[in-house]
Amino acid sequence: MSAMELCDLSAYELAALIRKREISAVEALESTLERIELVDGRPGSLDAGEITAEDHAKVHAFITRTEETARAQAQAVDKSISEGVIPGPLAGVPYTVKDIFNVRGTRSTAGSRILSNYTAPYTATAVERMEKAGAVMLGKVNLDEFTHGSSSESSAYQPAPRNPWDTSKVPGGSSGGSTAAVAAGMGALSLGTDTGGSIRQPAAFCGVVGLKPTYGRVSRYGLIAFGSSLDCPGPVARNVRDAAMMLSVIAGPDRRDSTAVTIPVPDYTAEIEAGVKGMRIGLSPDFFKIQYFNHESGQMEEEPISDEIKQAVEQAADRLSEMGARVVENVPMPRTKYGIPTYFVISRVEVASNLHRFDGVKYGYRTPVPAEDLDELYRRTRAEGFGAQPKLRILMGMYVSAAQYSEQYYQRALRVRSLIRGDFERIYDPQGEYRLDALLTPATPTPAFGYGDVYGDTVLMQYADQFTVTGNHAGVPGLSLMGGLSKERLPLGIQLLGRDYDEATLLRIGRAFEVATEDAAWRKVRPQVLEGLS
Amino acid sequence: MTEYEAIIGLETHIQLNTETKIFCACKADSWGDPANSNICPVCSGLPGVLPVLNRAVVEKAVLLAKAMHAEVQSDSYFDRKNYFYPDLPKGYQITQNDHPIALGGYMDLPLPDGGTRKVGITKLHMEEDAGKTKHEHGRRLVDFNRCGVPLIEMVTAPDLRSADEVAAYLIRLRQLLRWLDISEADMEKGHLRADANVSIRLKGETGLNEKTEIKNVNSIESLRTAVEKEIARQIREVEAGNAIEAWTLDWDEDTQSLSKMRSKETMADYRYFKEPDLLVVRLDEAWESAILADFPELPLARRERFVREYGLPEYDADILTSERSLSDYFESVNQAYGGDPKRVSNWLMNDVLRLLNEQGLEAKDLKVTPGYLAEIIKLVDANTINTPTGKALLEKVQQTGQPPKEIVEAEGLAQVSDTGLIREIAARIVAENPDSVEKFRGGKEGLMGWFVGQVMRESKGKADPNLAREVLEELLKG
Amino acid sequence: MSEEITRDLFNKLVDLAALELEEEEAEYIRRQLNDQLTAIAELAAVPLDEETAAAAHGVPYTADTRAPFREDNADPFERPEEILKGAPEVIDRYIIAPETPHEDLK
Repeated sequence: MSAMELCDLSAYELAALIRKREISAVEALESTLERIELVDGRPGSLDAGEITAEDHAKVHAFITRTEETARAQAQAVDKSISEGVIPGPLAGVPYTVKDIFNVRGTRSTAGSRILSNYTAPYTATAVERMEKAGAVMLGKVNLDEFTHGSSSESSAYQPAPRNPWDTSKVPGGSSGGSTAAVAAGMGALSLGTDTGGSIRQPAAFCGVVGLKPTYGRVSRYGLIAFGSSLDCPGPVARNVRDAAMMLSVIAGPDRRDSTAVTIPVPDYTAEIEAGVKGMRIGLSPDFFKIQYFNHESGQMEEEPISDEIKQAVEQAADRLSEMGARVVENVPMPRTKYGIPTYFVISRVEVASNLHRFDGVKYGYRTPVPAEDLDELYRRTRAEGFGAQPKLRILMGMYVSAAQYSEQYYQRALRVRSLIRGDFERIYDPQGEYRLDALLTPATPTPAFGYGDVYGDTVLMQYADQFTVTGNHAGVPGLSLMGGLSKERLPLGIQLLGRDYDEATLLRIGRAFEVATEDAAWRKVRPQVLEGLS
Repeated sequence: MTEYEAIIGLETHIQLNTETKIFCACKADSWGDPANSNICPVCSGLPGVLPVLNRAVVEKAVLLAKAMHAEVQSDSYFDRKNYFYPDLPKGYQITQNDHPIALGGYMDLPLPDGGTRKVGITKLHMEEDAGKTKHEHGRRLVDFNRCGVPLIEMVTAPDLRSADEVAAYLIRLRQLLRWLDISEADMEKGHLRADANVSIRLKGETGLNEKTEIKNVNSIESLRTAVEKEIARQIREVEAGNAIEAWTLDWDEDTQSLSKMRSKETMADYRYFKEPDLLVVRLDEAWESAILADFPELPLARRERFVREYGLPEYDADILTSERSLSDYFESVNQAYGGDPKRVSNWLMNDVLRLLNEQGLEAKDLKVTPGYLAEIIKLVDANTINTPTGKALLEKVQQTGQPPKEIVEAEGLAQVSDTGLIREIAARIVAENPDSVEKFRGGKEGLMGWFVGQVMRESKGKADPNLAREVLEELLKG
Repeated sequence: MSEEITRDLFNKLVDLAALELEEEEAEYIRRQLNDQLTAIAELAAVPLDEETAAAAHGVPYTADTRAPFREDNADPFERPEEILKGAPEVIDRYIIAPETPHEDLK
């Protein structure tokens, strides 16, 4: 096993060492930049040319690296600390930002050609709060174009990110750059977004911790919108405590986001070691099968999930039970199967509208072909600027919200969403039959799939989000964390779904699980790309 | 001869006079600013931005709804209206579609014959304005300064019956908007925009015929002319056996003429859906009553009261209630004066209004407080000063802000009522003008005015003219 | 393959979306749309009673969680030039776009 470097330390450890001046923020940064040099390979670009064998062995988390501003930030942190002022709880901690957030003065591409030349003139609230907490931004990381995918393969910036555990596999998506970077020691933290599972699914594939907060807990201001009623910015970290620290920093009301709630933000690390004694944690049979559309048969089919993942979830339940939690089995979540069809409608209607603004007039890409008139400019710019996934989603959104179809599709989907929400309300109801503190589920039906294996089949790809998407419909928080390793040495992800604004309980259960599995053999295994590094 | 009647509905857009835009903290008013200088990430539709509703927009909408007798809704929602246009940076307009802030409503429009036309309101909702574009050398120049300016869209039922009624409605609406302090309502500046839907039918028919829509008119007078011309054109077409087509007509101010813009296409599909970036606009009772706590008496009610309570002629009452602060001013002066309200009205209608017009002021901005004006009128009533001096005094008080009595004392403006002094001046004038005296005595009694004038001149305007006349008559006739 | 979105309908949607597609891309996207619609079709069978309201957001907002409206105080953005800098074409502070299509009228 290779030696641990500074860049492999957790955010919590780094912040403590830097605060105590045992190491400098610049040292932590340089160690991380070195790691990037060793494992990341070339950053994603629009004109990547041929993807070589060498590319196949690298992670390619980044689109834009910001070493220079990072160095200046790290130096400022060190200077401040030497003067006795701690800039914030994350002072000197290197982190990355999914390239779906606006960061003033940096290119903010959304993984799309249409924003290839867009330099943001303002900064997203969540990023602003990370800056204020003293965190040092390494750069912007790759993603599915406009977050439209579950593998990160659809980015216009190639090579797309690869899974650090096995670079022939995808890192998941759409926050694949974020989870791959964190898994490979390229920043202790990353700011991701989750609309249907885009933090939790890639966190599961990359063996890291991903938290989708309650909708409205973290401001969306500055996040380039996909599904406005579903989008949640959230932390990606290497352990639960780091995720809790980061959530404490980014959460909270924001006068620039009307949907950000006014509920005060607790210190999410305060109760994190309090254990699970007496907690009621549910298991639902509806999360142990997937239903998907089979083209060959033209039918919806039902299949059990991967045995290894099922076992990981069951073992996690056993561990938590050993620690004093009450595991409640056979909790019905009958509307889980409606998650994907509902998502196919709601998120598409919202995104078709959200992507209207990309038209070649105000910012971003404009077709180089001189246009005869405005309509031609719009058509050409959007045809050349968007990849297949956004086009597909725009067209679906146009269809299901058209005046004559809206009642049948969009309005109906919004009502089904109420039913999905009802499933959660029932199991958390303190007067109800189940009275759960959390629901324990698989994060994904399978471990990371192979590069190119699913890409192109948009229906199958979407079903990778089956266990995460209902959390977005209901708005409830979800924590994804590593629950084991497959025979192929791929991470197996488990998920905890919680009550509204009760991220603290999820983090506490997640931390208890970490403590319970501290000595497990799979905890000692490191991602493949880190093997053999000196 | 066949008789036709016109059926007209108005679609108005009212720009609210808030300090900031509807969804961001940019100034609402960019009049005269350089292009694209009053913009921010939100109103220029940058990726990632979100709208946050301005509280004052809701409050002003509620005031208007109340004034239009519309039913204010406790829950209303914003929707996205999706379409591509370069003045619409987000590619959708945030507006209210199926759950607007208010439903129903009407305006009672007084007609010249003394009757009233009840004009129904079919739509009243909040929305954001788009930017401005202009054509130049075959391309389009886009300015986002106006993006996000708060608007109320208000649409009337097809209840108006003539071009004059259209003008009367807009004048009343403008008066009301200023009265409520919710809009500057200046059509030239686009604070109040009105498109007219015009059709005709035979008198006695009840159905609606195909209509045309008149756009881009920027004054009430022009809209009156445009509607008049369009009614005449439709009558000509129908008389000639032609059908009216659903055209959109563009008004050209320079040539005072209408031209066809484009034939109306099938209704575009805007794919309205609830704006997920904004929450319900919930108007609880406490907030609504706070907004309506100082709801003023409206102009038509006040006009009626002025006639009833003060015995003013309709004409006076109408003018005095044309603007809210003028009518407040009238009532304050009247109270301080305590005499004949018509006398106060005369002072306002003649002298105060002239002053306001000359100086471009509103009554509430006058340095001549209602108390001062009452004092001036009383000074005249008591013959302390004569009427011309009173009028001059009004101007002086407005210039200096000093109390009228102080000015009268400091400048010695009080009338000379000393018979001895006036007799002395009069005797001198009689002595110095033997020719005029002879003519007067020879029957040219009209010369009395000239003699009085001479006395006034000699006394520097201070002589009581009635007294001067008495003395002169005595001297000349005696 | 399901044909809910026919070629004609598809072309209309492409037009409405201000897009244009190469033949191959169009066929791929249309096939995917129809596949997705098969999955969506499941919604039609979901039993809904009248009390099931449409949920605009998952977590309901209450008076305690809703953000207040913005007060009407100006706070202008200091760098409008940075916004203009991003526009493909600007002349005298105006953002430039081609002319809208128009038909000549007599």
